[in-house]
Amino acid sequence: PSGGSKENSLPVDFGLINGDNVEQLKKINQACFPVTYNANFYDEIAKKPDENLCKFAYWNGFAVGAICTRLEPIPDNPGRNRLYIMTLGVLAAYRNHGIGSKLVSSTLDYIIESETEGKASTVDEVMLHVQSSNTDAINFYVEKFGFEKGELVENYYKRIDPPHCYVLRKKLR
Amino acid sequence: MSVLQIQMRDLTGFRETRLKILTLRPNNKVHWLSYALAVHVCGDPEAALEVLDNYMNTLGENSEEFKRGFESSELALYKNKVLSETTCSQDGDDDFDKLLGVKKAWKHLDEIAHVIVDQTGWLQAKLSYQLQLGMFDDAVETCQFLFKRGSTEDHRVHSAYMCALLNLNRETWSEVEKLTGTATLATFRPLLDKEREVLLKAYGVTPSTTNGSSPDLISADDDTTTEECLAVAFPKSAAIKRIYLTLLPPSSAEFLLAIDKYCRRQIVKGVPSLGSDLSSLYLMEDESQESEKRLILARDPVDIKSHPVYCMLVELVESYICSLTKQSTFPNDSIEHPPSVLLWSWYLRSILHEQAAEYADGITLINKCIDHTPTGVDFYELKARLLEAGGDIQRAADVVDSGRDLDHQDRYINNLTTKTLLRAGRDDEARKRISMFTRHEGNPEQNLYDMQCAWYELELADSLAKKGKLGMSLRKYMAVIKHYEDFHEDQFDFHAYCIRKVTLRSYCDLLKFEDEIWGQPIYCRAAENIIKIYLGLFDAPTKSPSNDEPDYSKMTPAERKKAKNIARKKKKALEKKVGDSEGGVIYDTSKSPEDNGSKKKKPHAVDIDPEGKELLALNPLEESQKFASILINYAPRRITSWVLYYDVSVRRGKMLMGLKALHRMKSIDSTHHDLFARIVDFSQKLESRTTKCHAASEEVISSEFPKLLDDKSLPDFIKSTLDSVKSNPLSSLPMKIVLAKALISSNMATKSDCVSLILDSKLNGRSVTMTTCRDALEFMDSLGKDAITGKGELIQLIMAKFPFAKDF
Repeated sequence: PSGGSKENSLPVDFGLINGDNVEQLKKINQACFPVTYNANFYDEIAKKPDENLCKFAYWNGFAVGAICTRLEPIPDNPGRNRLYIMTLGVLAAYRNHGIGSKLVSSTLDYIIESETEGKASTVDEVMLHVQSSNTDAINFYVEKFGFEKGELVENYYKRIDPPHCYVLRKKLR
Repeated sequence: MSVLQIQMRDLTGFRETRLKILTLRPNNKVHWLSYALAVHVCGDPEAALEVLDNYMNTLGENSEEFKRGFESSELALYKNKVLSETTCSQDGDDDFDKLLGVKKAWKHLDEIAHVIVDQTGWLQAKLSYQLQLGMFDDAVETCQFLFKRGSTEDHRVHSAYMCALLNLNRETWSEVEKLTGTATLATFRPLLDKEREVLLKAYGVTPSTTNGSSPDLISADDDTTTEECLAVAFPKSAAIKRIYLTLLPPSSAEFLLAIDKYCRRQIVKGVPSLGSDLSSLYLMEDESQESEKRLILARDPVDIKSHPVYCMLVELVESYICSLTKQSTFPNDSIEHPPSVLLWSWYLRSILHEQAAEYADGITLINKCIDHTPTGVDFYELKARLLEAGGDIQRAADVVDSGRDLDHQDRYINNLTTKTLLRAGRDDEARKRISMFTRHEGNPEQNLYDMQCAWYELELADSLAKKGKLGMSLRKYMAVIKHYEDFHEDQFDFHAYCIRKVTLRSYCDLLKFEDEIWGQPIYCRAAENIIKIYLGLFDAPTKSPSNDEPDYSKMTPAERKKAKNIARKKKKALEKKVGDSEGGVIYDTSKSPEDNGSKKKKPHAVDIDPEGKELLALNPLEESQKFASILINYAPRRITSWVLYYDVSVRRGKMLMGLKALHRMKSIDSTHHDLFARIVDFSQKLESRTTKCHAASEEVISSEFPKLLDDKSLPDFIKSTLDSVKSNPLSSLPMKIVLAKALISSNMATKSDCVSLILDSKLNGRSVTMTTCRDALEFMDSLGKDAITGKGELIQLIMAKFPFAKDF
């Protein structure tokens, strides 16, 4: 199934995730993913709200999707960081309207546009893990956003089947 | 002193004092205006007018008063208002014409037009006079002018417009003028066909859908109307679209088309209040009114289910859901809609289920909504409402709390959660929730008290009363009473302020408002519950431990003397405290930091009696009597006022007052179950009493009471009521319960007869709620083991109607 064509796309607004509305993020993630994220995951996001890294997508007054990313240092490259996408989810009823794409685009644009200033300017690449059976997601990142399918990591997940995942990467700078 | 006099409403004293002040200082405008107002408030508009004219005569030609400005505008409009109230000619002729003042006021408006700043007020006054004087064409013009100025959302102007178009008489206009909110003439009384025609033409209508496609209110190139109708002139007005729906006959094709269009627009927009909005269309004729035809809203699920508009809506929304599920379009339409449209259609359908008390079906749909979009707070709110009405308040509280958790900044859902938790008896949790929005220093309940948050105090008081903590409950009800006493006190500053600022019309409205404040619904609710608690205490006094006299027999004489001394001192202190307290709520005024010697006492309320022991120690019958008198004087149209007045009066042995209460109850609602129960009670009390009243009272009782029994004996009266209840399958459950009790208490029927009476209609009548069902169960219990199978059957019926009910 293709992502939203132009006629089908829903115009969404973005919004900050903070301690007052982080429950909505939980609801979205619970509805979208087979894994459960622990309380720590949400606490970290709620503690330091940053709309550039974690945001909701709103349609008709509802939060219908969310993206959560964080900056991590690249291990062998001191001073350089990567953007790690932790979760990207859109409620089932609202899929295929281009909302997921918009969430990813706006985050990538933020990184790309901060060329010289701020911590975003230290980001050289984007990375995420995708469950090995999730071909839709893999195609989404590879075909739409030019990610590269990297190595298979075995037994990455504890309670789902298959427990393996692929690393997807995209170099920005 | 004059300020105190008006505060206390010593009107003649006020007038005298103001005259004195005026004669001493005639150069001061404030004194002139105060005196004029004093005369007006004493009910003498003619004299007040004279005073105002005399004042104007003292002014020089270049005075500010004759130029346009806020104060001169307000004064002119006030004078105009006084003028409209005069009824006699000032020349002293016996020319009593009720409309004389109105005619003069109407002319006067043109004289003052040049100083007016409040154009809308001027136009509204003109409109009212035109309608009273039957100048209908002029009134139509004034309304259209008001609409152009932006008053399209003011329903009173719409009501006036309707009265003008239909040339309705003064009496009708004076009733319609008092309607509030979104009520108009169209929702007040049924419209005749020819009336509908006139109004629809003015508001905008397609007589027939000539082109067959999605109908517009009127096609832009329709040549049949010479002047623009409202819908075309004001296409953005929401009120006009709503009112238009009330003008169409519900059985017509146009109505279906109009409501279809209205619903589609609101659903696409995603308006959560659509279900509530549409419920204002469930109008039915008021059966209790025999002479004048009036409309009331259907509220009971039984009435709603059978209402034609409701049935139409159900069909309509089902068709939306079907079509949207299949192909994301509305029926007979090709536009594809986003997923939220199906969501709101489900939501509306769920609300329609709620309105018809179909709780299980409602829950199924709202669960669908929650699965579809779990981030929507509105859905948790509706689910909680369905659970509560369907019998499970605990789960309802949990659900609304989880909805609240989605948005900690939403005060509305926090309040709703607090209220639901209180209704579930979870007071501590409720306090934690509401504390999220109170000031963070200090005691949250103190903050709520300072903010005069009456809804919280009432719900908490209800919860405490249910738990038997009567003292604490009384304290909370009394807090609400105190708020209203403060509202009444607060007018103090306005007496001087309003005169100084010349806002005399608003000031008159304020005085009237303050006079009637003890009839406000929230005050009445507090007062009614206080009375109920005190009457309960009167009927079944509990020994309050603090007043227990120590056991003197076990003491030595010295100890006894000491103990009695202590008890006597305690009693004295109690009486003094209660005497000092304002409205029974006791403050420690010594700690007041804001006490700077101002006239008003504003104690910093440190709660020194949180358990309400002092309130419990008061004489219950006296306290009940106090509040009952206020209720019947200020809220005489609430039937509960008279119900409680009856209850208080018969306990005081005042049979004649009880009879008066019964009589007034009958004039409000002759079919009310509380009335029937008390008629039976009165009759039984008359039989069983040992002492008689004063001879004159006895005469009145013996001549008037039989009328309440329809001149029958008590058994015959009960029998005839029984017959009419049995013949009406929709009879209310509370009525059946009181009837059954009457049958038992007068030995007219067996227990099994009573059981059948309650079970026969299978709970398909009116007023079937969890509360009334519990009353029915209590009654079954009182019948003992003979009613055990009956009780079992009743429980089955209850669980069918209230699928979430648990504890029996």
